[in-house]
Amino acid sequence: MPVLLRIALRNLLEHKAKSLIIGVLLALGVVILVVGNSFMDTAAKGVKDTFIANYTGNVFVSGKAKSPISLFGIQSVGQMDSTPVLPDYDKVLAKLDAEPGVKLSTGQVTGYALFSPKDSDNQGFAMLFGIDPSSYYKTFDGFTVLQGRLLKPGEDGIVMTQTYLDRMKKDQGWAPTLGDTLLLTGMSKVGFKIRSVTLVGIVRTKNDSDATSFISWVNVDTVRILQGYTLGNDEETPVSADQKALLAATDEDALFGAPTVIETSKKSAAPVVSAAPAAPRPKAVVDQGAWNFLIARTDSEVAAAKAIADLNAYFAKEGIDAQAADWKTAAGPFAQSIDVIRIVFNVAIIIVAIVAVIIMMNTLVISVIERTGEIGTMRALGAPKGFVRKMFLTETLAIAVVFGFVGLLLSFGVIAAIQAAHIQAGNGFLEILFAGKVLNLSVNPMSVAMSLILVALVAVLAHLYPVSLALKVEPVRAMQTE
Amino acid sequence: MTIVELRDVRKVYPLGKVEVEAVKGVSFGLEKGDFVSIAGPSGSGKTTILNMIGCVDRPSAGSVVINGHATKDLKDRDLTTLRHETLGFIFQSFNLIPVLNVRENIEFPLLLGRERVPKKEKAQWIDYLIEEVGLSQWKDHKPNELSGGQRQRVAIARALVTRPEIVLADEPTANLDSSTGEQILALMKKINREMETTFIFSTHDAKIVGLADHVIRLRDGLVTENVRNGKDMGSVVGDLLENSVAEASPASSSGASSSAKSGG
Repeated sequence: MPVLLRIALRNLLEHKAKSLIIGVLLALGVVILVVGNSFMDTAAKGVKDTFIANYTGNVFVSGKAKSPISLFGIQSVGQMDSTPVLPDYDKVLAKLDAEPGVKLSTGQVTGYALFSPKDSDNQGFAMLFGIDPSSYYKTFDGFTVLQGRLLKPGEDGIVMTQTYLDRMKKDQGWAPTLGDTLLLTGMSKVGFKIRSVTLVGIVRTKNDSDATSFISWVNVDTVRILQGYTLGNDEETPVSADQKALLAATDEDALFGAPTVIETSKKSAAPVVSAAPAAPRPKAVVDQGAWNFLIARTDSEVAAAKAIADLNAYFAKEGIDAQAADWKTAAGPFAQSIDVIRIVFNVAIIIVAIVAVIIMMNTLVISVIERTGEIGTMRALGAPKGFVRKMFLTETLAIAVVFGFVGLLLSFGVIAAIQAAHIQAGNGFLEILFAGKVLNLSVNPMSVAMSLILVALVAVLAHLYPVSLALKVEPVRAMQTE
Repeated sequence: MTIVELRDVRKVYPLGKVEVEAVKGVSFGLEKGDFVSIAGPSGSGKTTILNMIGCVDRPSAGSVVINGHATKDLKDRDLTTLRHETLGFIFQSFNLIPVLNVRENIEFPLLLGRERVPKKEKAQWIDYLIEEVGLSQWKDHKPNELSGGQRQRVAIARALVTRPEIVLADEPTANLDSSTGEQILALMKKINREMETTFIFSTHDAKIVGLADHVIRLRDGLVTENVRNGKDMGSVVGDLLENSVAEASPASSSGASSSAKSGG
């Protein structure tokens, strides 16, 4: 065994208390890093897998907007920006489908709506994913139908999640049931729009969570109308003679004179419109090319990255005001929440690392002071400064490696204990992070390696100042101290 | 052949706001193969001179020449090489590396140099030294398992392992009982004769000065006597013995002076 390593290991054993202080700090650092990274990786992978499989796919194409745009609309503060329509949809779709590695693609229009059953004051809120069932259910096949069925092409229907209906029932005391006709009230720049749809299916998605359970799937034309994506309206509204007179009126008395179209029922105080039975309203002309997004599933992440790069180059070349991005952009606030947690975790790690460096540095400084005579002796015997530097570095790395592996074993123990505890996600956000109802940590070998390297770096950083002190020890100190 | 030469060497140490002159212009030369004693009472400058010869300290003025190298012209790296290749050290407090055993302590200086000694040759040489210092039974023991005398024997073997031309020993018997001290000095003398290694040791013990071929007597940072090869050695030892007795008595702390027989 090389003399430096021999001296290093024996010194660690010789100065057990100091070794233990530094070692425990390093081991704890490894535990925090490995368990923390395991949680982060689990959460990141969970969110990624869930969103790619259920909502975002690997490639996300949208129109451009001033604020960040995701599958859930535009993230703007203080104003309601409407999600832009994807320009040149057909060209973009053709280009997307031509990309190697793109397996499946589908379009989507996103909107929000209040919904209420017909003839009821009950109300709920839903995020609407307007879809084309023929391509959407091929792209996202993780639906489990609990009641009814999935949407059929061409029908005005809505599919909701069981999780959301359960939560509504619990929180509001009611929830729509299969077959209910729901009035959807959407608000767009052109005003309020109301459309009725039938609840045709109640489903569960892969890794279904509370946080995304408010998503409902509706036929795309309904969402387009609610969003105001109409080209015009060619319906004829029958007007009675009284209404014609009213419209022809030119003075206020004629306009606000005694009502002539309202009569009061003796049985009910409520006013009743005495109009003739309404004729069925012709549909508005919907802009069939209006899609907010194109979503695609690819063979691999590499294929997705290539497709995104190709598409963005294509948009720039063709002057199409669109952008291609990955699942993270599509997932918007959900992916960002993971990033925020990781940033908080990293900041915490940096603080812990700084504290550890300071404590380790102090301990090593004491060690250098105690070993001044020994260092002086080595220098007097002809040890170059480099030897002293290497000796302390070897000791530092030896302790980092030994206690790094101790920390690693402890980490696996902690992770095993967490697995055994079956920690339940208490809310929807945690369900997203846990990628399910129960925390199921996974260990990423790369994270483990990075944790060990980071801990070794902390140890090396901590030894720099003490070793600079050691290098200042003159050989003459050998003559002065024991 | 002169192996060590000091020319008007001065050493000043700052002590708070004042400067203390520990060595006040010392000149002498030492011959190769001599067994040299630098003698004198505490504070006379013995250790300071030994430090400068050992290249662990530099003179404030004057020059120290070791084996033809003027140390004031050498950089730290060159001084380190000179210490490693030309000098061996025996310390008053032994200064063994506590985590290494006897054999490893002796081997240690060999691991510092650039020169690679073949393993077999190295092992034989170390075994020879261990045998020479009489520690064959103790070679696997750590320093804390050895007596003071045994530790100093390890230090002697360690000082010799690089086959240095000069071995410096700062009060090598100060921490040993008189019997062990005599044994250590006898061992050093034996090696001096067998290997023709120059030994330079400091001491304030008059009884061990008698073993030296060359005695340099210091007082208050100045050479008061410089006697070589038996010439007037008896009187030097006699004077030292007298002074030792005088130093030990309370009334003698001041006024003791002696005439220089061979000045610095």
